Amino acid sequence: MGPSMGRPGIILLREGTDTSQGKPQLISNINACQAVAEAVKTTLGPRGMDKLVFDGRKVTISNDGATIMALLEIAHPAAKTLVDISMSQDAEVGDGTTSVVLLAAEMLKQVKEFVEAGVHPQVLIRYMRQSAKLAVETVKKLAVPFEGEKGKEMLLKCAGTALNSKLISSHQDLFAPMVVEAVSGLKSDLSDLNLIAVKKVPGGEVRSSFLVKGVAFKKTFSYAGHEQMTKKFINPKILLLNVELELKSEKENAEVRITDPDQYQSIVDAEWNVIYEKLDKCVDCGANIVLSKLPIGDLATQYFADKGLFCAGRVDVGDMVRVGKATGAVIQTSTNGINAEVIGNCGMFEEKQIGDERFNLFTECVSKETATIVLRGGSEQFIEESHRSMHDAIMVVKRSLKSQAIVAGGGAVEMEVAKVLREESLKIEGKGQLVMQSFARALEIVPRQLADNAGYDATDILNALRKKHFHEQEGGKWFGVNIAEGGICDTYESGVWEPSINKINSLAAAGEAACVILSIDETVRNPKSEQPGAQPQAQQGRQGGGGMSGMMGNAMDIANNGARRGKLGHGVNYMKGRGGG
Amino acid sequence: MSMVYDEYGRPFIILKEQQAKARVKGLEAQKSNILAAKSVSSVLRTSLGPKGMDKMLVDPDGDVTITNDGATILERMEVQHQVAKLLVELSQSQDNEIGDGTTGVVVLAGALLAQAEKLLDRGIHPVRVAEGYEAACKVALDTLSQIGDTVEFTKDNTEPLVTTAETTLNSKIINVNRRKMAEIAVNAVLSVADLERKDVNFDMIKMEGKPGGRLEDTELVQGIVLDKEMSHPQMAKTVKDVKCALLTCPFEPPKPKTKHKLDITSKDAYDKLYEHEQAYFTKMIQQVKDSGANLVICQWGFDDEANHLLLQNKLPAIRWVGGVELELIALATGARIIPRFSELSADKLGTCGQVREIAFGTTKEKMVVIEDCKNSSAVTCVVRGGNKMIVDEAKRSLHDAMCVVRNLVKDNRVVYGGGSAEIACSMAVSKHADSVMGTDQYAIRAFADALDDIPLALAENCGLSPIEELANVKSKQLAENNPFLGVDCNQSGTNNMKDQGVFETLIGKQQQLLLATQVVKMVLKIDDVISMGNYQ
Repeated sequence: MGPSMGRPGIILLREGTDTSQGKPQLISNINACQAVAEAVKTTLGPRGMDKLVFDGRKVTISNDGATIMALLEIAHPAAKTLVDISMSQDAEVGDGTTSVVLLAAEMLKQVKEFVEAGVHPQVLIRYMRQSAKLAVETVKKLAVPFEGEKGKEMLLKCAGTALNSKLISSHQDLFAPMVVEAVSGLKSDLSDLNLIAVKKVPGGEVRSSFLVKGVAFKKTFSYAGHEQMTKKFINPKILLLNVELELKSEKENAEVRITDPDQYQSIVDAEWNVIYEKLDKCVDCGANIVLSKLPIGDLATQYFADKGLFCAGRVDVGDMVRVGKATGAVIQTSTNGINAEVIGNCGMFEEKQIGDERFNLFTECVSKETATIVLRGGSEQFIEESHRSMHDAIMVVKRSLKSQAIVAGGGAVEMEVAKVLREESLKIEGKGQLVMQSFARALEIVPRQLADNAGYDATDILNALRKKHFHEQEGGKWFGVNIAEGGICDTYESGVWEPSINKINSLAAAGEAACVILSIDETVRNPKSEQPGAQPQAQQGRQGGGGMSGMMGNAMDIANNGARRGKLGHGVNYMKGRGGG
Repeated sequence: MSMVYDEYGRPFIILKEQQAKARVKGLEAQKSNILAAKSVSSVLRTSLGPKGMDKMLVDPDGDVTITNDGATILERMEVQHQVAKLLVELSQSQDNEIGDGTTGVVVLAGALLAQAEKLLDRGIHPVRVAEGYEAACKVALDTLSQIGDTVEFTKDNTEPLVTTAETTLNSKIINVNRRKMAEIAVNAVLSVADLERKDVNFDMIKMEGKPGGRLEDTELVQGIVLDKEMSHPQMAKTVKDVKCALLTCPFEPPKPKTKHKLDITSKDAYDKLYEHEQAYFTKMIQQVKDSGANLVICQWGFDDEANHLLLQNKLPAIRWVGGVELELIALATGARIIPRFSELSADKLGTCGQVREIAFGTTKEKMVVIEDCKNSSAVTCVVRGGNKMIVDEAKRSLHDAMCVVRNLVKDNRVVYGGGSAEIACSMAVSKHADSVMGTDQYAIRAFADALDDIPLALAENCGLSPIEELANVKSKQLAENNPFLGVDCNQSGTNNMKDQGVFETLIGKQQQLLLATQVVKMVLKIDDVISMGNYQ
């Protein structure tokens, strides 16, 4: 942005604005994406490693791609696209968040040489789209639908595969059935994952985690008298409230004026009557258990204890909703007009000791939809990571149930799609052939990285896989990396299964992200406003920058304020900015 | 994190505040994490066993804690390093679940990591090491249940329980009085235990500590001890056949919760107000009297006026009793907590045999003891000792001992201590290693070596020659095929831990192995550390 050839230059942007365009920009974006993929690639697969991210306050140890990507706080504008696809994969499928990032970065890497060689990005994009579409179609074709009887077993294997790369992988036999059971309880629409709660109880051993078919939550803060309550009910009636049951002033800003000391007692009595009336109504409706979102005070606790009820205040909203769903109770915002319809019931209620905590358990509920998984583990970090892993597994099972089809993992499906793409590519004339071939090569990153992470020779394994897939068309289609022993094996046989929707989504998302990044040829990055609020306008003028309209405005302002003359130093700057810029 | 440059030499920023972020990757990250964890475990190593030493910890306020309890040491150390924190949590989790073996679990985890480091140097994949450890852990657990012994005990024959509790107390500062302390712990647990359901509710055991007196003066009270005194010095110090009223309302005129204002416009009105207030007091006292109560326990305070009236009416009273204690008293005496005076009635009172106020030595410190309760399950340990530090440590040690007894009530299988169980496991694991193909063999063998570290540390702390001792015991175990042989820490002349009576609970030991393996896996799996600012 300097004066050139004696003609006054046109100032378009603020000084300090970073612009870069054209091929270098594209290459630079691709490099950034690769750097990001580099950071997460070691987490892929059963031998994948964990990352410890410390953001100054909190530590997270995770293997989950999406979690890591979020914690890295990526600032590069193009690389952020990768974070987005990882997140969308997490939201959509829940698993495969690492591989989607890897795929996108690898696709870019493969076409980088074409960009350098001067192929127009739009050509690349066109054929990338075509390849991605073909890849998705191939996966759809390859997918094996669920067969009625074996459905459950398939789900178990899918859950197992999702847990493979996680910290709790060696306890798959415990967790996979747990997840499947929890998810299969949901109704067919599978909409509400909130109905499966995961509760964390630090301490204990991971294998003492268990599934509660119903609702379980930690004993809430309780007042004196709580221990005198009945802690076990069979077929209890449950009342859910959003009412504060405490002796307190009705309105914050109300004031009572008493002129006659005789009236004093009546005011006190009136207050007590208000609370007792509420309590009586709760008891009269026949409920055995009273839960409230808001506090239940000591008075109410003791009152209920006297009448043989159980109560808990300050229950978490999520837990309230789950109890409601499970028992059929409806949350009441008033104690007036409680009728039989809003009261729920369940087969069994109990307060139980779990590790160091006491838990309230509602089991044998009318509706079987809710489930609670109680996780145990030696340290907080361990439980946090288990929780994330369980989330992934739950999502995967849910997705498999919905899509009703699976493919074999371990890189098998990627290899097969790559083979199909290669064959297809030969039918294309021109540059597209090369693009599709490089897309096919990009897919091989998944088995390659799996082998790399496990410490095997990736090139050897890839060559063996390519040969297998090419020569034994039908028989070899499910061959992938054998993580346990090295070499290759039929991953369909060995039970490494993933829902097909997972792969479809990740191929589509990665392809789309790669195209987006390829289509960018210019970045305009505005400088950070360094002194927010301090003469922002004059400063803009001085720097000879700002948007066109801004400049006009500034000029007017400054002229009016006489700032031009007032501050010599600034004025000089200002003049320079106007004239020379 | 360093800058990344593209092909055209331009730097590009990928992460927010990239320069401020530190990143350690790969083997380097594992090494530094292992080092951190090892340094934590080396702190605790000297505390292991009956001859283990104590640590003195001074907190920022200058309060001093002297303890031998692993979990407490780590908690008070305020460890900063993130991986080291995992070990702290490990110890805490053992404490919460089992209550004993908090030092052992950390030492074991440290040893496992030290062994893993060697394997990493040889180029074995960290996850393979972790998986090998898990396989080995399974073998060790099986071995433990094989060599485990059951102890039979009944309410009348508590000897085996006392012996086990003694083992726990061995390493603590109160080991001079371990017999007495162990008995206290056993009696406390058994009086609240439900042997049928194998359930022990620790909420029913209260611990009160008072510095002063001797450790020997520690006693178990069948009832509840309150760190309170009668509200008026002239009140009766002992009440028999108590009928107590538990109140959650103060002895003062009731106040409406709503903001209120009393307009007094004339002298008459003022007098009337005064009369009313007086009437409230007398009425309250009358209500208490009418209900038949002869003791008042109140959650709140009461002013001199009420105190005086109570004294006049010969109603002993205790004020400012906390909610938790009030609840305990309610449970023990079968009382109902009463929110206002008008609800007082005879059936809501609690009954107990005797309530007395006891004074300690020449000090003014007093406590109230509530004994012979209807529901006798609540007990209190009153711990005495030369100074506050001893009392605190004694409390912690007693707690550990009680946890062990509880575990035995839950599951009466034991293994023998003195490192004998570890040696037996180590031998079984290394035998298993020979039958395993591939890299796992190395990891499994490393696990066996790590197990040896416990008896080594024990011997070291007792001033024995560790390697010699371990080799001796190992060869003896093999020769005699007797898994009860361990390190003779007390120089009593026999290596047989069964004869020495050194027990540990089976679940405690199993938990140790499981937790340590779990955490080690977690540490080994981290190959990348990204942090803001300083991470070290």
